Amino acid sequence: MNETPAPLIQDEFTGEPPTKRVLAHLQAKREEGKKIAGIYCGYAPTELIRAMGIVPASLCAFSNATIEAAEAVLPVNLCPLIKSSFGFVITDTCPFYGISDAVIGETTCDGKKKMFELIGERKPTHIMDLPQLPDEEEALNNWTIMIRKLQKFLERTFNAYATDDEIEAAIKDTNHKNAMMRTVIDYAALNPPVVGWRDLYDLCFLSHGVTGKEMEPVLIEAKRKLEERKAAGYTYGPSGAPRILVTGCPVGGDAQKVFNIIEEGGGTIVALDSCSGFKPFATDIEEKTGDPMRAIAARSLKIPCSCMTPNMRRLTEITRIIERFKPDAVVDVVLQACHSYNIESYKVGEHVQKNHGLPFLKIVTDFSQSDVGQIRTRVEALLESC
Amino acid sequence: MRTSGIDIGSRTVKLAVLEDGEIVLTRKAHSSHSPLETAAALMQDIDPGRLVATGYGRHLIKTRFDCPVISEIKAFALGARRLSADCRAILDIGGQDTKAIALHETGDMSKFEMNDKCAAGTGRFLEIMAHALGYALGEFAESALSTEKAEKINSTCTVFAESEVISLTNQGSRREEVALGIHKAIVSRSVSILNRVAPTGEVFFAGGVALNACVRTLLARETGREIFVPQDPQIVGALGAALYGASRPDERASGGNT
Amino acid sequence: MSDYTQMWSSLGLDLKAHDALLSVLGSAYQDVFLSQKKRPEGMKYFDFVMSEVHGLRIKELLDAKAQGRKIIGSYCVFVPEEFILAVDGVSVGLCAGAEFNFEGAENVLPRNICSLIKSAFGFKLGKVCPYVEACDVVVGENTCDGKKKAYEVLGPLVSDLYIIDLPQMKSEAGKALLKEEYRKFAQKLEAASGKKITVESLKKGIEITNAKRKAVKRLAEIRKADPAPISGLDALLINQIFFYDDPVRFTESVNKLCDELEERVQNGIGVADTGTPRVIISGCPMAVPNWKVPMLVETGGAVIVGEESCVGERGSRWLTEDRGSTVEELLENVVDRYFNIDCAVFTPNPSRVEYVKEMTGRLNAQGVIHYSLQFCHPYIVESMPAEAELEKAGVPTLRLETDYSQEDVGQLKTRIEAFVERINE
Repeated sequence: MNETPAPLIQDEFTGEPPTKRVLAHLQAKREEGKKIAGIYCGYAPTELIRAMGIVPASLCAFSNATIEAAEAVLPVNLCPLIKSSFGFVITDTCPFYGISDAVIGETTCDGKKKMFELIGERKPTHIMDLPQLPDEEEALNNWTIMIRKLQKFLERTFNAYATDDEIEAAIKDTNHKNAMMRTVIDYAALNPPVVGWRDLYDLCFLSHGVTGKEMEPVLIEAKRKLEERKAAGYTYGPSGAPRILVTGCPVGGDAQKVFNIIEEGGGTIVALDSCSGFKPFATDIEEKTGDPMRAIAARSLKIPCSCMTPNMRRLTEITRIIERFKPDAVVDVVLQACHSYNIESYKVGEHVQKNHGLPFLKIVTDFSQSDVGQIRTRVEALLESC
Repeated sequence: MRTSGIDIGSRTVKLAVLEDGEIVLTRKAHSSHSPLETAAALMQDIDPGRLVATGYGRHLIKTRFDCPVISEIKAFALGARRLSADCRAILDIGGQDTKAIALHETGDMSKFEMNDKCAAGTGRFLEIMAHALGYALGEFAESALSTEKAEKINSTCTVFAESEVISLTNQGSRREEVALGIHKAIVSRSVSILNRVAPTGEVFFAGGVALNACVRTLLARETGREIFVPQDPQIVGALGAALYGASRPDERASGGNT
Repeated sequence: MSDYTQMWSSLGLDLKAHDALLSVLGSAYQDVFLSQKKRPEGMKYFDFVMSEVHGLRIKELLDAKAQGRKIIGSYCVFVPEEFILAVDGVSVGLCAGAEFNFEGAENVLPRNICSLIKSAFGFKLGKVCPYVEACDVVVGENTCDGKKKAYEVLGPLVSDLYIIDLPQMKSEAGKALLKEEYRKFAQKLEAASGKKITVESLKKGIEITNAKRKAVKRLAEIRKADPAPISGLDALLINQIFFYDDPVRFTESVNKLCDELEERVQNGIGVADTGTPRVIISGCPMAVPNWKVPMLVETGGAVIVGEESCVGERGSRWLTEDRGSTVEELLENVVDRYFNIDCAVFTPNPSRVEYVKEMTGRLNAQGVIHYSLQFCHPYIVESMPAEAELEKAGVPTLRLETDYSQEDVGQLKTRIEAFVERINE
């Protein structure tokens, strides 16, 4: 079979932006009487939130449309993700923010940190002080304290509670989800590829918004379809297309122009190394430790986000992904004004080129269409060098 | 008493002469490569009386004519108030910069913001685009107004926008629609600055670009506000400088406190 | 200045580039400082320090090293000087304020980051900074994203980089973290110096540091007089020299200057006429030789009467409590003192604007210039609500965002002049 196969998630939202699917899910939860907590980051302890019967909703926005409104208050020279999210909030056009009963943020990067100050008055908001040296003993102790503080905030705000057993169950659910996701993601390592970025992205996006239990039927079906594709000898993308690993800042919505450009240039994306991609599913939480919050904290601190220093784990993870998914080149997407990923990119580039001998391209971009031509030129040059 | 204001812009030099507070003479000339010479030429056959300079070249002229200087922000504030007695929001789109000024009820400056680092969103942007599309400046606005549909211009930089415009017309886009897209882009940038500084009330719209009918129309439409354009929108700064001279007859050429 | 070629060579400096830097520095100093009128006599000491900034002071550092004392360099007022002194070390500030060798810096760092960081790297990579070359330990800290990630790149370039972690919120947990970090830093200093921190040595460190702070606080207080007895440029210079001069000698010189200034105040002598518009500058720190904006302000018709910045009141206004009978108690005092610092990397940070308002009143200022370096997210995002709050409180505010280049001098001048005109209205 080499006609276009059925997408991995087939439902009424197929073909639409994945946000619609998740929004419908949240609205359904709302109708059931569930409370919703808006989150901005992979560091938010969703297991705790879910164990308390609250539904987490991602508030990160990737639309260029609200940025103009944001720039009336925020500096123009700021990450587009922050501006977009903020723009949605202040124009009251974000259904996810609208549906949230509380907002949870963390002191990840300077931009987000200071932006939270400007929206803190609108809804019950709780900011967590995230450690920056994840390998230190203190970091684990402190982040655990922060998670407990979050628990107090959620208890006060929602009159909701969770026992250690309930949290443990949520941890197990996450680990199960991660394991299933890893199994499905592994199909992207096949050569020739049987799955494209859109299918993978939609799965990752949905996975953030729902529990492992809810994800199970979707992933079982996805796996079945992928097996079918494999058995039928289906190839996604042009034969012999250069395999691309995309790493860096979260990419979604209008930033997906980078993915499109890579494919239009003849490349096939085989790995999405970001918080909007495979990253959240890579590491499990230790079960039955007797201190589930501490276990959650320990796992958070393994996330190789550039807000951590020295973040050597980013390099070890990239190595693991390169060895598994065998890309021919690496593209590092840095959102404009993101100092952490921008400065770290140098280290990543050196590692990819010197230790893996792969061509490397850093792209600094935003959510507008104004640099499509320039990105295309660079990507085409990269693909030519493969 | 005779006072004069000279506004040395990067593209044009403007002169306004007041006799007992009434405008008796205004002149404009292209700055050319020697704004100082242009300024001198503008004043050669007249008695300027007490001269005050403003504009980006004000410090240059201060040395030659030994006159007081004021910033173009203040000059615009004074000039605008003279032409529109209770205006509170001023937008000036000049040859190479754009500024928005908010005034208190008293006419004193409250807030201001300038874009003087980037040509996009200034008169220069319109000039370059008109040329790229093969229009004379006068017909550019007319052509843009002749259509309802605008071709969206993505580039924020004047130089890249020029390339974008050329490739759009090469691909068959209609000239009028590209022209409208250009005008929308400049209005959008200006409205952004205006909204941060003076978000409500009638807008006193000055500067060379205020002569552009399409920009005026789009500005009114996009802000939903009344737009007032003085008869000679380019002279506002020079007028303000002259008014300043009239109000401070004894002030000498200044240079800070050193 | 004597011939220090041998000394500079021994530190591994690029002599040619270093000479170029010094000559640029020299002529800038002439234009900016020495051209000012009616400078207090006491400024002669600071002129001298500047003239010997890469000469005599470096010699002093190397002499100290020869005696077994350690040179500890840092980039932030969160690094506790008391501890450095307690191990008989010498504390030097390494923040740089000139656009030098940005090309070199941009080979390892992105172009779009703060000039202060690029300058520090430019100096290091260009081998023109004897201070960083003389350091035994270079201390970094997890404050802003830019610096935090830049230290990862700096690590391999220096012999011993030590990072202090900081909390990002002012909570009990945050304070506990700071305490642990300071404890670890103290241990690091002990290991590096081979000297133990005792109650006596720490009290001595506290005493010296407090005396230095009291001297600049005294200076800050005198500046409330009209006419301003000293220029903002000169006061800034003193606040900059605070970071690398010998603390005891510095304290003495500042106090001597203050005696002279008090006399000036009594006799109504100032550097500007009475009634000259008075402004406070608030925001990002200005490191030597970054004098661009204060110079534009003070040649633009106003006088600067205070600085709310790390190189200014934010860095020096609190004192460390010296009562305590154990090192643990004194450590607690040091933590208490530093935990107050209201840098924009903290969220939320309400005390900063409150303090600016208080300064404006105390120093009889008519306006505030909010100064931020381009790409500095914490201060730039904070600048909007700060401006709104100050304006609401009736304090005219001007937000400036700039870098170290000379490119935007014209634009800055226009804005500053318009602001001065506004204040004059």
